[in-house]
Amino acid sequence: MYPQMLLKNRKPGRIATIGEYRSSGGYQALENSLGSNFQSPGDIRLILLEAELLGRGGAAFPMGKKMSTVPEDAPYPRYLVCNADEMEPGTFKDRVLIHADPHQLIEGIVLAARAICAEIAVIFIRREYENAARILEREIEVARKAGLVGKNILGSGCDCEVTVHRSAGRYICGEGTALVNALQGRRANPKRPPPYATEKGLWGLPTEVQNVETLCCVPHVVRNGAEWFRSLSLTENTPGTKVFSVSGRVKRPGCYELPMGVKLSEVIEEYAGGMAEGSRFKTCMPGGASTQFMPESMYHVPLDYSALAGEGYRLGTGAIMVFDHKTCLVRATANLMRFFARESCGWCTPCREGLPYILDLLDLIESGEGKAEYIEIIRQMCEHMKHSYCAFALGAAAPVQSMLEYFEEEVLWHLEKKGCPFTNMQSR
Amino acid sequence: MVIDAAEQAGIYIPRFCYFAELGAVGACRVCAVMFEDGPFTGLQMSCMVEAEEGMVISTEDPEAVDFRKHVIEWMMMNHPHDCPVCDEGGHCLLQDLTVAGGHGIRRYPGRKRTYRDQYLGPLISHEENRCIQCYRCSRFYQEYCGYTDLGVTGIAQRIYFGRYTDGVLENPFSGNLIDLCPTGVYTDRPSRYTGRRWDFERSEGVCINCSLGCGIKVSARYREIARLEAGSRQEVNRAFICDRGRYGFFYANSASRPWKARVDGENVSLQKAVEEAVKRLESISAQYGGQAVAAAGSGRSSLETLASCVYMCTARSFRDFVFEDRTAAPGADSAVFRLAPENAVSMQSIESADFILAAGADPLNEAPILSLAMRRARQNGAAVSAIDPRPLAWPFEFTQVAAAPGEIRKLLQELNPETPSGNNDYRHAEALDSIKNRLEKSSRPVVVCGTEIICENTVSAAADLVDSLRGRKKDAGIFFTLPRANTRAGVLLDEGGGSVPDLVERMESGEIKALLMVESDLADIYPDRARLDAALKRLDLLAAVDSLPTETVNRADIVIPALTVFEAGGTYINQEGRAGWSQPAHKGGTPVRIEGGGGHPPRFIRPDIPEGDIPPAWETALRLAGLRPYAGRKSMNDWMTETFPVLEPLRTTGIDGTRIFPAASGGGKKKTAETGTENEGYLLVPAAAVFGDEPMSAFSQCLEECRMPLELWMAESDAGKLGGSDGDSVRLDLRDQPLHLTLRTSERMAPGVLVIYRHPGLQWRQFDPGRQFTVSRQQVFISGSGTNDTSRGRAE
Repeated sequence: MYPQMLLKNRKPGRIATIGEYRSSGGYQALENSLGSNFQSPGDIRLILLEAELLGRGGAAFPMGKKMSTVPEDAPYPRYLVCNADEMEPGTFKDRVLIHADPHQLIEGIVLAARAICAEIAVIFIRREYENAARILEREIEVARKAGLVGKNILGSGCDCEVTVHRSAGRYICGEGTALVNALQGRRANPKRPPPYATEKGLWGLPTEVQNVETLCCVPHVVRNGAEWFRSLSLTENTPGTKVFSVSGRVKRPGCYELPMGVKLSEVIEEYAGGMAEGSRFKTCMPGGASTQFMPESMYHVPLDYSALAGEGYRLGTGAIMVFDHKTCLVRATANLMRFFARESCGWCTPCREGLPYILDLLDLIESGEGKAEYIEIIRQMCEHMKHSYCAFALGAAAPVQSMLEYFEEEVLWHLEKKGCPFTNMQSR
Repeated sequence: MVIDAAEQAGIYIPRFCYFAELGAVGACRVCAVMFEDGPFTGLQMSCMVEAEEGMVISTEDPEAVDFRKHVIEWMMMNHPHDCPVCDEGGHCLLQDLTVAGGHGIRRYPGRKRTYRDQYLGPLISHEENRCIQCYRCSRFYQEYCGYTDLGVTGIAQRIYFGRYTDGVLENPFSGNLIDLCPTGVYTDRPSRYTGRRWDFERSEGVCINCSLGCGIKVSARYREIARLEAGSRQEVNRAFICDRGRYGFFYANSASRPWKARVDGENVSLQKAVEEAVKRLESISAQYGGQAVAAAGSGRSSLETLASCVYMCTARSFRDFVFEDRTAAPGADSAVFRLAPENAVSMQSIESADFILAAGADPLNEAPILSLAMRRARQNGAAVSAIDPRPLAWPFEFTQVAAAPGEIRKLLQELNPETPSGNNDYRHAEALDSIKNRLEKSSRPVVVCGTEIICENTVSAAADLVDSLRGRKKDAGIFFTLPRANTRAGVLLDEGGGSVPDLVERMESGEIKALLMVESDLADIYPDRARLDAALKRLDLLAAVDSLPTETVNRADIVIPALTVFEAGGTYINQEGRAGWSQPAHKGGTPVRIEGGGGHPPRFIRPDIPEGDIPPAWETALRLAGLRPYAGRKSMNDWMTETFPVLEPLRTTGIDGTRIFPAASGGGKKKTAETGTENEGYLLVPAAAVFGDEPMSAFSQCLEECRMPLELWMAESDAGKLGGSDGDSVRLDLRDQPLHLTLRTSERMAPGVLVIYRHPGLQWRQFDPGRQFTVSRQQVFISGSGTNDTSRGRAE
């Protein structure tokens, strides 16, 4: 068992109270930073920069670096947005984090807001997470009464209003720039920088968007320092821990906080209890539906952002979806593609029209009506997805491309058999 | 952008979403090109990259070509391939690029997505299945124009461009959707099935439905105008026109147009009618003297016609020419003479103003496209303030000082530090201070000044304010709006200038025996119908030269038909002095549709063009003046510039874009009395409406559904005092007959003012001469909503 940082207060069936959070060291970072061991916003940014805390929402952009793109002389009010619009299929870490220890997130938000002098923080939360939203609303009030949120925090003269905003309920709302549009009541279309949201975001003012898990790390980093944070990791490349959401054909699917660099095989075998009865590992997606299928040869790969990137994969949100030898990957891919084709925002042509096109061909292959030339069409179209407006279509194409790369024989088998060879296999 | 740089170099890069005026958004992805060398390399959208020195770009790179081919294929996945029955077919960007990209055979095996189309009003047909989701329409409608009733809904492949429900589009610039749409989603409804692009005779013209003179493109077929599209005129309109301009042409196709010359009710040949007119005019002037003959004209005539008429009056020693626009717009004279090359601003430079003050001007209704230029300025950061009594509803943020027409001058003087007021108890002190502040802070302020609802002195006060701002080293400009396309030309040429009321008085007294109306209608301008009838009856001769079936034409002793601008062409000088030549679109003659009784093809063949000998109004005027008409534009131009020195610039620099200013800019000649505001009762202001009583667009049937309903607008406080509220029925007892209207209230309106937006069906001229009329409280009856005539008795 590795030491727990983010999930140490996790209890079955209930959230951690503010008292429990405090007794585990919670709010000390905020108190120190505003009181005894006063830290200027610049000091906090420096710690985060040194800790190399990478954004946990999928893109892995260093948080300290992003914060330093807010210009010193930028106008006020500035905004901090907590992105809790967790809609990546297979990902459920943010919900667990909020349900386990909401004050950890609240403290992280206040500290991060302070680092960029933002006085307004918004938790942009997925529509379906109504319970989490209510928990947050309630706990924000608790924190407010304790003087930890709102006006004049802990008598320091610093303000930080935190509000909860329920998302418009689409996958694309979780994309940073689309989120900024959605929060302003506009269509959730991504917007190509420049200007970056950190310069001109909500209503033209500096806006920093950060993922729940990233913000949850902030109090620990500020309290214990960069060196400590780096020591949590098993690798040099990516410091800290990662909350993995494991799902699929394993014995114990769930959320596990493990050090960066832990081996995939270890996650599956040690923590998720190994493969389900009668199942053999075929492949897995390491970071949610918009990452590639990994072949069996990668079974022992250490899971951290740069190690995976070195092999050509993305850790994404750390949502490990495990597929066994009885699962049809054509069907699984089509299923994912159905999600992406439905969730395209409709802004650019390749994504809006290309994804349904690919889906249609996948469906035809799966149903036995496929033709050999479809494979080449799909390949070409997936390749062209990199020229779409935002990264959405590129992510949507990733499972298809990797499926064709590592499991082409499954596709050919469909064509040969004029149907799905995996039908009814799961129940056998 | 690279896409523009390439076009300048003669390389056309395909595009759907890119439209220069709307900016680049990178949605359609069809403008992908390969960047081979330079600041960066790889496949990029040419609309999203600023062109830079050293860039090497290939449009023919195999990867780029393949990607663009795919984009077209994706767009055609759901397109209905209905080009043969689509009105866009033949000038469709999607069709062009699909053919150019080589996508001939559909390989997508799936089904097509289909939509239900919407009724968007009488002007635009909606066929959403053809949509390729370029977002031009929603960007234009919402971002460029500021209207929200059309836009995009849904996501992914279910995306839908339209309204929430069926209904007439609220945006008076909606016709531009037709021009903007790269395929046939929005097509021109009135011209449906009239022809393909190549069937039309196409020409470029100047719009004459207001004083701005926007560029238009005209399509004519079978001696009819089929449709107008937006043109682009440098410094005037960019790529858009308003729907009044776009659909204001139907008078030219009308069967009720005067097609035949008439003398005393008998159809005669044109030559006979002109000879008869010359004979009768000569005999009257021999008998009673030239002063017994009067001629009148209006600003809807071309410069050529106005020049010929003014010349005719001088050459024949008739009375001074009467230019009716002076009566329509009391501020017209000052607006012409106070505009100088220094203080004039063009519509395009308004977009870069940093503060706009509109005084007695309602651009949205009086000069619609101007309101888009002001919106652009607002989007660029300019503040906009208005001083106006009307319930202004512009599609952008602005502040309004609700002042009665007579107050506007005082307020303008108050803003001008050089005209100390000595009067500090203004109701609007606070609002004025804020305008003062903004003027002080601005470096490029523009004053937009109307000429219709205000008096001449107000126009001078606005010009004085701009002069004083310029004196304080600000790059200040003034922008006047005038009632008609050529009001400025008429005022410049007709320096003596009689007035319409004076004309009627002299007809009554018998001093005037003959009246020649050239493209002008007394019944349209003079309010007292009974008095006008009596005066006209006293005439020995009423002659009309016109292309519109006006009342004057109907009752004239001699009618000489004239060509419209679409057949004759003409020069028009817009409100900022910019001349433009409108090309003729076809040669004239009765439309084939009318000649053939609606049958197609025509059932009989004839060697000549029926009524093909109708001359332009200026030819008739020159003949009546005793001159032989000039053949060709050049000799006509030479004659005009020789006869009228003020037009000299037209000779030296050509017509298009040349600016015409009076020899010496000075004050207007005539001062009109100011309309009082502190009197008992209300001041009734019949205000211009975008689809109102403008004489040409009033003939357009298709605009009926777009017209503003008959409403009486009142300040909320005034209505409250009478116990009325928004939506009530109201009766106005005026002269002969009562007017039944719906009461509308607004916070924006000035107290003590009633506003009725003019409607072609409204005999508003019965109100009063001078266009503004005092109504006593006893003349206003308000009854409950829904009930029409059962008044609750007199208010108060």
